[in-house]
Amino acid sequence: MRTIGMKRALLGAAIAALALNASAAQAATATGTAKAKILRQITLTNTSDLQYATVISGATASTVQVSTAGARTCGSGLTCTGTATAANFNIAGTDGALVDVSGDANVTLTGSLGGTMTSTLSYSAASVTLGATGGSFQVGGTLSVGANQTAGDYSGTFNVTANYQ
Amino acid sequence: MFRVLRAAGLLSIALFGFTSVPASAAGDLLVAPTRLVLDGSRGTEVVLNNIGAEPATYRISLEIKRMTAAGGLDEIAEADADAAERAALGMIAFSPRRVTLPPNQPQVIRVGVRVPEGTPPGEYRAHMLFRAVPDAAPAAEPKPIGGSGVSIALTPIYGITIPVIVRVGDLAATAEIGAARVAETADGPAFEFDLTRSGARSVYGDIEVTRPGTPEPLLVARGIAVYPEVTARRVSLRVPAEVAAALKGPVHIRYSEDRELGGGTIDEADRVVE
Repeated sequence: MRTIGMKRALLGAAIAALALNASAAQAATATGTAKAKILRQITLTNTSDLQYATVISGATASTVQVSTAGARTCGSGLTCTGTATAANFNIAGTDGALVDVSGDANVTLTGSLGGTMTSTLSYSAASVTLGATGGSFQVGGTLSVGANQTAGDYSGTFNVTANYQ
Repeated sequence: MFRVLRAAGLLSIALFGFTSVPASAAGDLLVAPTRLVLDGSRGTEVVLNNIGAEPATYRISLEIKRMTAAGGLDEIAEADADAAERAALGMIAFSPRRVTLPPNQPQVIRVGVRVPEGTPPGEYRAHMLFRAVPDAAPAAEPKPIGGSGVSIALTPIYGITIPVIVRVGDLAATAEIGAARVAETADGPAFEFDLTRSGARSVYGDIEVTRPGTPEPLLVARGIAVYPEVTARRVSLRVPAEVAAALKGPVHIRYSEDRELGGGTIDEADRVVE
């Protein structure tokens, strides 16, 4: 774990050096001064998507829920196949830093053959305190499937941000 | 070790591509530093790096956010912004606003500030949002799904915001630590206390909770702000159950300035946590 922290610090240094290079490279002098500024950083990576997988709709409207832990609950009248997952985001930054999480509360999905569906979204935490190895949060949701929902590939996008105070 | 993890990440992405509906995972990002404070005369720089495995286009914009009593940041539509928030948007200039980066390519975003003549003293703030622009609708492969089957792909558009603060005039502020408690929240146990602020600017710093007589802190949380739009906020820090149990009893809470600014004490208090 220590090595990761070290690498991160080095990465930060490398970036700062690159940032400084632009002006430093132009000044050709005989004396060399080594300068590096370490900037505090934050990284956000998306390691899995919110997947409801495949749903076969029934004669009545129903819902499919994927918890922030990734467990799927298939509503009555529906058939669910494939592997469902919650979206996962990893945050890395200063040890101990408090990062707020915000994002859309719902999303509209549009079908490739017409039709729409809506999904509410749930977040595992409103804020994350980063540890030595960073932190993470998950996004689950509840999808509303209409009675005899038009078949097709449904897609939608939702916004998520990690906010420093 | 990092490389190994990276490789594993790449591998899992590749596997995902084969096994499920392809969803673009491009857009991972790094932003440094995590907070900008400008005094109105000099500009600064922010570094944006594409840490994903694919080229990505990022958009940089300014947003208005207001702190809530619970300590969250509410997004405010530009139409609902007040005069000071509008002034902040007008003062802060930055470039570029859109950039396409190959993997591991950093880009410097230059941030300048122009304070118009006659701007009343105070703190002006906007939040800079760095976010990947999603690729053009991923070509959904038509899949043979029988009957009334639907397949679903949800793509997150994710980003990072950092505050950009412009201070005009000589501003001062103080903060005071209120009652502390261990509370049971929807997300699990949390250490909570109230933080009140007075003065013309925000306060920002780190929290350290110690037990009198024990040098090792029970809890450390960095980067906690109280912005001028609120005079008090709740600080709620999620903690594991064993830390929550250890926090009960007499504690010393210290709220100190950022280490980069010397780490001076803003306020400290002895509290008994219930």
